[in-house]
Amino acid sequence: MLTASILVPLLGAVAMLTLRRTSEPTQRGVATGIAAVPLLLLIVVWTQFDGNGGFELIEQAPWIPSLGVTYKLGVDGMSLVLAVMSALIFAASTAYPTDLRGRGHEYYAWMLFLEAVSLGVFLALDLFLFYVFFDLSLVGMYFLIGVWGHGNARRAALKFFIYTLAGSLVMLLAILALYLATDPRTFDIPTLIASQPLAGSGLLGVLAFWGFAIGLGVKTPLVPVHTWLPPAHVDAPAPASAILAGVLLKLGTYGFIRIMLQMMGEQYQRFAFPLAVIAVVSIVYGALVALGQPNLKRRIAYTSVNHMGYTILGVSAGAAAIGLGDRDAQTLALTGAVVEMVAHGLITGALFLISGSIWQRGQSYEIADYGGLAARAPRMTAATVVAAFASLGLPGLAGFIAEFQIFVGTFAVYPWLAGIGLLGVVITAALFLQVLQRMFLGDLPERWGDWTDVGRVETASLAVLLALVIVIGVYPRWLLGPIESATRAMGG
Amino acid sequence: MIAAAILLPLVGGALLWPLGIRVTPPRRRGVLGAGAISLLAASLAAAVVAAVSDGRLDVVWSSQLSLTFAADGVAGVVAALVPAVAVVVVAYASVHEDVRGLPRLLGLMVAFTGAMQMVVLAADLLALTIGWELVAACSWALIGSAWSSSDAVGKAAHAFNATRVGSIGLILAAGVTFASTGSFAYDAIGDVPRPMLDAVAAGVLLAAMSKSAQLPFSPWLFSAMAGPTSVSALLHSATMVAAGAYALIVLGPSFSTVGWFGPVVTAVGLATALVGGVVALGEVRGKRILAASTAAQYGLMFAAVGMGAPAAAAAHLVAHALLKSQLFLAVGVGMSATGTGDVHRWHLGSRMPTVAVAAAVGALALAAAPPLGAAWTKEQIVAAAVTAGPVPGILAFLAGLLSAVYALRLHLLAFGRDRTRPAPDPDRPDPHRVEVAVIVLLAVASAALGVLWLPGAREVVEGLVGGTIDAGHPWELVLAVVLVLLGAAVAVWAVRREGDVLPHRLADAAAGWFGATTAAQRLVVTPVLASAAVAARFDDAVLDLPPRFVARAAGGLTSVLPRFDDRVVDGAVRTVAAAARAASRGVTRTLELGVDGIVAAIAAATTWIGDISRRGDDRGVDGAVEAIAERIGAAGTQARRLQTGLAHHYYVIAVIGLVVLFGVLLDT
Repeated sequence: MLTASILVPLLGAVAMLTLRRTSEPTQRGVATGIAAVPLLLLIVVWTQFDGNGGFELIEQAPWIPSLGVTYKLGVDGMSLVLAVMSALIFAASTAYPTDLRGRGHEYYAWMLFLEAVSLGVFLALDLFLFYVFFDLSLVGMYFLIGVWGHGNARRAALKFFIYTLAGSLVMLLAILALYLATDPRTFDIPTLIASQPLAGSGLLGVLAFWGFAIGLGVKTPLVPVHTWLPPAHVDAPAPASAILAGVLLKLGTYGFIRIMLQMMGEQYQRFAFPLAVIAVVSIVYGALVALGQPNLKRRIAYTSVNHMGYTILGVSAGAAAIGLGDRDAQTLALTGAVVEMVAHGLITGALFLISGSIWQRGQSYEIADYGGLAARAPRMTAATVVAAFASLGLPGLAGFIAEFQIFVGTFAVYPWLAGIGLLGVVITAALFLQVLQRMFLGDLPERWGDWTDVGRVETASLAVLLALVIVIGVYPRWLLGPIESATRAMGG
Repeated sequence: MIAAAILLPLVGGALLWPLGIRVTPPRRRGVLGAGAISLLAASLAAAVVAAVSDGRLDVVWSSQLSLTFAADGVAGVVAALVPAVAVVVVAYASVHEDVRGLPRLLGLMVAFTGAMQMVVLAADLLALTIGWELVAACSWALIGSAWSSSDAVGKAAHAFNATRVGSIGLILAAGVTFASTGSFAYDAIGDVPRPMLDAVAAGVLLAAMSKSAQLPFSPWLFSAMAGPTSVSALLHSATMVAAGAYALIVLGPSFSTVGWFGPVVTAVGLATALVGGVVALGEVRGKRILAASTAAQYGLMFAAVGMGAPAAAAAHLVAHALLKSQLFLAVGVGMSATGTGDVHRWHLGSRMPTVAVAAAVGALALAAAPPLGAAWTKEQIVAAAVTAGPVPGILAFLAGLLSAVYALRLHLLAFGRDRTRPAPDPDRPDPHRVEVAVIVLLAVASAALGVLWLPGAREVVEGLVGGTIDAGHPWELVLAVVLVLLGAAVAVWAVRREGDVLPHRLADAAAGWFGATTAAQRLVVTPVLASAAVAARFDDAVLDLPPRFVARAAGGLTSVLPRFDDRVVDGAVRTVAAAARAASRGVTRTLELGVDGIVAAIAAATTWIGDISRRGDDRGVDGAVEAIAERIGAAGTQARRLQTGLAHHYYVIAVIGLVVLFGVLLDT
């Protein structure tokens, strides 16, 4: 089942390349159909999932036995919900109309390729496999931005590629350090978690930990290694932006938990505080820089820095709580961090899709160019209002469930940091209300007199994402259950 | 039942909006009005049942998060009050407000009430936070009802952002309580040890101050005036602003061991009561007079909680809700009838006598004239202040005097009779009978609250709210009545001299809440926006420097390498290259020969390979050096390609490099 959810989009990507002559709507329909298959498969997986705290539904085959590399997939509560969320964002983004430049078959092939490798990262239970999928995701995104982007797309794509590749190379060294400390040598993730290979290893463990922190921190991204993100977002086509923010950033934060927290618990507990400080800086600084952006997409991009800051704050507080033996705070902070990944994926995914619709109609991301769009586009406005309020953490919507748990969990270990981080909550409120006020409310400029509302496909894609945002916000029990089963078990 | 009391209006309101748009405008007032009233009446009924049966509700979200609600004591009373006031206000709105936006307006007002029910019935800090924020979001949408006006929307954002600052306090209180006790329940707050309890108290106070528009947050109430009158009537009486004082009434007693809490709350409350009173005196627009008075009245409730009399505060909250909603509705009628908010030009007494008489009840209640119920509730607060000490006692009396002046001045200007001047615009419509009926109904309710003066009422209130209410001294009542009469005299005097009480310069200062408005702008808004702009520039200019520097350095290196290539290695490489060219030419020619020439081609290739290896042998060590040089040359070419954007080549090189590294590491 798990293998199929990687294999189907991968084969689908190859199949798309044969649809060169087909019309774009057909290409989109076929691609969306294929992209939705992993979603259905993973929902079936969810129904079979026990939630006993360990890895379940394992599928494995020998791959490179001499190096201790196996092809091994499986899920725990955290990776399951992240994989389902990613599959959903891929389905919605693939369905979302965008300018294909007459190369739809290639575009959708890359989308499906990216879906396969992204799901692979979450489902992999072998660190080598994880790394392969992790790096392949760069390739897919590089082409989506470089070929179908606008503005200075090639430059942005290259910057994204080299910056994050440099990050993942640092991480590779750290992986090797981890691997070489195992005996017998293995890349098996459950074994690495159980054996804590670098525990008590002194300098090597410290270096490996910060190698991971830098490598994954670039991907997340954390301040100050976030500057690749805004240009990549601004110049990327909207569905790619949605995937970049919704799925690819989560690869970094997922690594923070799966590798750093789980395999290097000793080091994370030791460095939880500096990482929490970096997270709080990301929260406040990200929000502040976002408020200073006159460009819609850059503004949303910087709110990602802010939200990923919440996530890392939750992870770091969770690590510190493990060190203190405070199981309640640990579970709360880590569950909050994982919910934040899901919530941010859905919410920011929706926001980027909306900004794509705005670009298609107005060819501009400058907030000042717009105004009063609510008069012409009530559905687009409604979607933006829901997404904006969700992003600023309004209760009843998914973001609140995440941020509330993170803050409450953090209060138990770092009360001052939690207090400072709360400032971000006020700034994000101001910056999103400003977007609503300046773009959707107020006077409609004459040039947008024939502005069209979002179409049926756009509405459906947004509705699916935002409906889930509301469902999670109102009744999150079904989501919190599996996540808690995993986060409670972390740290032994 | 609790779920029904909350969800019927919350969900029903959310549905009323989209469904209401389908109703044709001529039928909207009746259909939507009836829908909104039924939803709120159902919530009222459910709340009453829940209050009588001491209902509780637990919603489990996870092993750690659950929402608890309870309808006991003061919660039950206020949970009945909120929808009761909302029913009346919504009935008024359905005939008073613009019919085009009616589905949205009524839907949001009903949902707003549902969110407030959540605040009222909450029994833990998580549930409270959720309701708290939903109330704020609804008020944002309601204040910005005129969404095509940037001004209204900007003011809605001001109200939201100002109260959002307070929400930090609530999340802080929830976090600290959980960290200390592992629970969010109100009951658990008592178990929080100091100094953590101080943080909880500070958080709750901050939240309550922002919501109830206490200083320095008061100016947002003026921004909230951008909403329609019905919204103001609801927001000032039973929802939004009431949430702050209500939370303090419920949670305040938990902080009895925190020494600073009582005095600080009292100080904030009395300061706002006095400043708000002066601001109300300086205003000429009806809605703004009422808004300033709202801040002042909630200030009195704060002071009551601070002085250990939450029951008196709760009673005053109920009385204030009835009178303030009524006065807003009356002012709304006046604005429609005159086309202006400036009450100097109204004098509607002879034109709408029924409304004038009814509004007089509300104004007298606001002035705390016995035997109205609001006078009794105010007396309990004053009694508590006198017990607390001479300074709070004097300030409380002073606040009472101010409220008598501004309430009666407002009424005399707005609904007084003045035969010397003509009605400003006789073409404007007379009030609708529903509007009049609603205003009269609320007057009757305010008057009926006079039962509080009956013997035994004190015990009933104490029983409902909990805590004790000190009986005041008789001289306090006498002094209070004297002050009301004095206030009436001042009001009459003021109306004679064109209604102005304050000198103009003082009135101007009061309009800006004595600097609170500009202080918030200068100390918070401007610095935040400026630092956001600076941070944005810093981010582009400085934080992006290292990667740019690395990129440039890499670019430099790739241009140095080729030069090194040309000068040092080239000689050797050229030789190899010539050989390779010859070889490729050979291969090409061979291929050109086609199938027939295969044998010949193999022969030629063999000769070529033999030739190469022989030469390699000849050169020995030199050959090895050349081979390395060739590789470096190739790398230089690759590096140059990277510069042209072929990143995947770089990727391949990087992967090869890593495989080598991997091998080296494995060997060691």
